[in-house]
Amino acid sequence: MRKKTIFLCLVLFAFSISSCVSHLKEAKLYYVNGEKLSRVYKTEKALASFKRALKEAELAVAKHPSAQAYMLKGMAELNLELWEKAEESFIAAFSFGFEKGQEWAEQVSLFGLASSLQELGLVDSAFKIYTYLLNKSRFKSVTVLAAQRYTHIALKETLQEEGRERQKLLNKLLKTAEKLADKDLSCGYYHYLLSQVLSHLLEYKKSFEEAIIAKELGLPKEEIFRDNDLQIVFCYQKLKEKLSSEKREEFLSVYLLWVKKWNWPNSETPDWKKR
Amino acid sequence: MKEKSVEKVVEDGVRFLSKIFPQKTYLYFPLLSAALVWAIRRTKEWKEKIFSWKIWPDPDLVKVKPDEFIINFYKSNPDLCRAYRDEIEKKDLKTLREAFRCLYPILGLEDPFLFALFQKELESNEYNKIVDEFDAKVSLARNDIDAAEGKARLLEGLKTFAEEIVSFGTDLLSQANAQKAIAELIEKQLKKKNE
Repeated sequence: MRKKTIFLCLVLFAFSISSCVSHLKEAKLYYVNGEKLSRVYKTEKALASFKRALKEAELAVAKHPSAQAYMLKGMAELNLELWEKAEESFIAAFSFGFEKGQEWAEQVSLFGLASSLQELGLVDSAFKIYTYLLNKSRFKSVTVLAAQRYTHIALKETLQEEGRERQKLLNKLLKTAEKLADKDLSCGYYHYLLSQVLSHLLEYKKSFEEAIIAKELGLPKEEIFRDNDLQIVFCYQKLKEKLSSEKREEFLSVYLLWVKKWNWPNSETPDWKKR
Repeated sequence: MKEKSVEKVVEDGVRFLSKIFPQKTYLYFPLLSAALVWAIRRTKEWKEKIFSWKIWPDPDLVKVKPDEFIINFYKSNPDLCRAYRDEIEKKDLKTLREAFRCLYPILGLEDPFLFALFQKELESNEYNKIVDEFDAKVSLARNDIDAAEGKARLLEGLKTFAEEIVSFGTDLLSQANAQKAIAELIEKQLKKKNE
């Protein structure tokens, strides 16, 4: 009788372990499927898949709570725009702690937490997390996303200030942007961000140079690529006005070489512009 | 095999879209135009572009452009400069920045979908109208497309259209000429359809 009870307990224990492993596994599968569907614009099916992922993650959390289960729950909620629930899930994920080798999951969770905080209007808290990720993350995709959010929030803040205060904030942002570009010289997007910040500081020559580096290294999206081209043209126009005649000649001769290389019809019209 | 004419390709494109959006003729030109431009510009990424519906650039990017960049944007375009002369003179950045949010993606970055969506207003230089109606019109287009059934079929149809048009040669179809020709052909097709 005693042996039978122990056996039953073991079977039940094994079953409960396997069922929560399978809920976690199912949650992962539905989540990945949701991402895939989302990428091919099957929005409704993607949402259905995220809902299934959420249900499975909730079951996993109920049966065998873990950092990964909460992370998946949070990611599904993020995709379903359930910001407050997502925030709670990510916080719960951290309270469990991530195991060794799960650094990526920790950072994805942190980015997810910051995104939901930002959506809830808690911009300062989100900004702190983006700052942390910028300094600590070893995963480029997380760092690039954090850099984008960080820069936009910081620039928005500077635009609300005037004079010295604005200058102070811009100088601080410049240091961060320079640090990012130095850390990963080959990332065109960081040079693009740096060029944008320099432009706010009216440093058109440096902004122009950084925009050229960004263009040459490549940019992730067409809209950023075009915005960067327009930044080059803007800096060119400003420099043409500001430089002394001698320096202007020198600058123009170099600029025209770039224009020729890029196959632009003229110095102020990128090749994608309507003519 | 007899080769199709550009007119026939456009006719097929319009016929195809009229099956998916029978009542939403205003979407035909933006969709066909965006399909064409992205097919020419970035053959591998065009699908993502047409269906991303996150009207670009990402709003944060537009909202944080420097003041000088915004003023320069207005000054560099003679029609815009005329339309916003008072605001430029007064350096009314509140108004200029708000209008920039709507006008920069169309006139600066030349989003083909938005450009086609506001083609009539652009032709008559009604920039205030674009700014006033931007959010409502873009949101309506986005909702109508989201509500369309068989989005995968729509994607395939637009892809076929883009491939057929591009087969006429990308050099021949410079953006401005191609869009103008397509606009005229679509208008012709829609008139024919309504008769």
